[in-house]
Amino acid sequence: MNKLETLKIANGVNFMKVKDNRFKTVRICAMAILPLEKDTVSAYALLTQVLTRSCGEYPDFTELSRKLSSLYGASLEAGVRKIGENIGLVFSVKGIDDRYALNNEKVSAELSELLCKIIFEPKLVDGNFDREEIEQERRQLIDLCDSELGDKRVYANNRLLELMCKDEAYGIRRYGSAELVNKVTAEDLRIAHETMLKSAQFEIFYAGESSADTAQKVFTEKFSSLERDAVKLHTKVVRKAESVKEFTDTMEVAQAKLLMGFRTDCASPEEDVTAMRLMCAILGAGANSKFFKNIREKQSLCYYCFSRYHRAKGIMTVESGVEFDNVEKTKNAVLTELRAMQNGDITDDEINFAKLSVANDFVTVFDSVAGIQEWYLSQIGDGKLLSVEEATAEFNAVTKEQIVAAANKLTLDTVYVLRG
Amino acid sequence: MSVKEIKSELLGEKYYEIDHKSGLKIFVWPKEGYNTTYGIFGTPFGSTYNHFTVDGEEVRVPDGIAHYLEHKLFESEEGDAFTLYASTGANANAYTSFEKTCYLFSCTSQFERCLEILLDFVRNPYFTAETVKKEQGIIGQEIKMYDDSADWRVMFNMLEGLYHNHPVKIDIAGTVESISHITAEKLYKCYNTYYNLHNMALTVVGKADVDTVLEICDRMLTPQDKVDVTTHFPHEPYEVLKPYVEQKLPVAVPLFNLGFKCSGERLMTENEIAYTDILLFLLASSASPMYRELLDKGLINSTFSYEQFEGPGYFTIIFGGESRDPKSAEIIIKKYIDTLREKGIDDEDFEIAKKATYGDALSSLNSVDTVANLTEDFCFNNRKIFTYFDAISKATKEDIENRLREILDTDNTTLSVVKG
Repeated sequence: MNKLETLKIANGVNFMKVKDNRFKTVRICAMAILPLEKDTVSAYALLTQVLTRSCGEYPDFTELSRKLSSLYGASLEAGVRKIGENIGLVFSVKGIDDRYALNNEKVSAELSELLCKIIFEPKLVDGNFDREEIEQERRQLIDLCDSELGDKRVYANNRLLELMCKDEAYGIRRYGSAELVNKVTAEDLRIAHETMLKSAQFEIFYAGESSADTAQKVFTEKFSSLERDAVKLHTKVVRKAESVKEFTDTMEVAQAKLLMGFRTDCASPEEDVTAMRLMCAILGAGANSKFFKNIREKQSLCYYCFSRYHRAKGIMTVESGVEFDNVEKTKNAVLTELRAMQNGDITDDEINFAKLSVANDFVTVFDSVAGIQEWYLSQIGDGKLLSVEEATAEFNAVTKEQIVAAANKLTLDTVYVLRG
Repeated sequence: MSVKEIKSELLGEKYYEIDHKSGLKIFVWPKEGYNTTYGIFGTPFGSTYNHFTVDGEEVRVPDGIAHYLEHKLFESEEGDAFTLYASTGANANAYTSFEKTCYLFSCTSQFERCLEILLDFVRNPYFTAETVKKEQGIIGQEIKMYDDSADWRVMFNMLEGLYHNHPVKIDIAGTVESISHITAEKLYKCYNTYYNLHNMALTVVGKADVDTVLEICDRMLTPQDKVDVTTHFPHEPYEVLKPYVEQKLPVAVPLFNLGFKCSGERLMTENEIAYTDILLFLLASSASPMYRELLDKGLINSTFSYEQFEGPGYFTIIFGGESRDPKSAEIIIKKYIDTLREKGIDDEDFEIAKKATYGDALSSLNSVDTVANLTEDFCFNNRKIFTYFDAISKATKEDIENRLREILDTDNTTLSVVKG
């Protein structure tokens, strides 16, 4: 496995690279991390869309798309992700490795320069983002906000977080809302862009066989010309639920969605979250989890039921899709499995199998360019970057006592049901 | 038994194709430097195979039985296959499509054990009235989950509009009603008909070598007699059944699928698939004038996509995504198809589309799961994977123009819309 090299190329800007000759592609990504706030979230989301639509050198959307297509179907993507109560604005390009270019084109160098231009040299008209471009991307971003309703699982998950974290930034959706997107002005975008360049924590990641030199050079040049003061990232952790809040929405659906949110009293980077992650895996991740074996296989209550630990925020969510009449029964079944965990009713096999499964997943990640990138980017909120070996060793060191202790920290905060 | 090495200089890839003495077709595709091994064992028995003649007996089976069988095969008298895999850390899964059922694992250690488990449980069915009944609740919830999925519904509604008789119009999992008629006897009938080694294919990709795979197959697979089976597909007229179908579901942004029904009398050749890929890129990628007009008029967003959808007896080209006005999108898509047919293809557009298609296809070889699944697909359709890649790199503009004369009949389409 090839080692990660990390360089600090400017204040609050890290450049990470992994050289790897196994893949047909290179992947370059820049993630700008900023606080998640209701007032700015939609401006940032719209900014990522507007920036990846065109740039000074390719001021027209179709022209930029043709350029990417001519680079063997390279892709340029924008995304927004939550990292605790911060958002990561992700700009990434992917294209074939130079070795596979049919006419010896330097695809990787061209993509590196293009990504840098996308971030630093947008198409501006009199110093402002182009109004027509803004309106095009605004319409699409509103679609993106509205489209969550089409996927009831996504919708129910977002509703749970919104209700559970009503007074916390974590309850804000990563694009904000259609209403907020509608209010963003060209001036808001200009400020968002300036703030991103000057204050965001930047993580730039390069993976592939072709040289990372061009990427490193262009980003270093651009960032070193800026006066930067990177923000400190922070997430508010609510330790315990005072009481259980219950909410129900009705809609014309065939299946009820049951969502449960727990406070875990444990979050990274301040605390060691490994035992909590393993506990969550034993409880509800995969075909050997307690949920799968007991709630699905033994009781035939559902097709899916799983748990997810949001380690940067210190909460755990559980989700399932069930018959309307089985909501209460399934909720009790989830609590029964959790109680078993809290009482130490966990076999050595359950622990060992979960450890093996985690180790397997970790190693598998490194067999794809996107996986390697994700491995490191997903650790940004942890305050440390572990290799697969180090992360696996941490999991393997967890004891049954620590798992039981982790389970006993959980308090149920919110139950959300979507039903017909 | 023969072991053939199949190599592509262009792609820097090679695999081995083996006719095993048991009757099974085996593919081993080593990926140097990879840590994961992906194994997949499949049979060309999918949801559309509901009417067949075996050893002179004509059989009709309930809709959804192939998928039901997939669920039940994981169980044996001693327990389920997931429990066996648990001690290896491997990820195990299975899926049923319109024309095949596949069982798979992905592991990073204990490969031999994983392959043994796979070959063993797929070869040893165990169905009883009780275990069959238990699955009805689980699959019932799977069906209901899809009933609420706007993406899924918009596609099946389109298939119901396109096809008069072909079972591709029936949901893969069947209905809650149809699966209530599934019995252990019917499962055994299907199993004994289609799960015959002479029909099936095993593919191993990643960290793998031929000798290890063969040693295990030699030990575990005894030669099997062929089964005389004919699958019946009803006569399907060329014309679509309905040009427009609509369903109301709680969604905020309407979704559409526009299907161009093509003749499904025979399966496509590798060249035809490659030419269709290039043609679709030319016509509808984000670099195309069509995409631009749709975008500028606010008729699509970044969810817009297109695909070739093909199997025994059916072939459709699908354009789809979210749209606030699907009928206007349909008119524009058809206008561009007619114009392209009339005016011919621009030289530069063709070169760009060819390069992009090559880049896309090349990138897909990064991933062990994509390679393994493609290999099974190509095998069951009697196609060769490298022939497809060669066809892309050798395609001429005339090939694409000729292809356009054969498909995308603008008078033979179904528009499916899901809206709130």
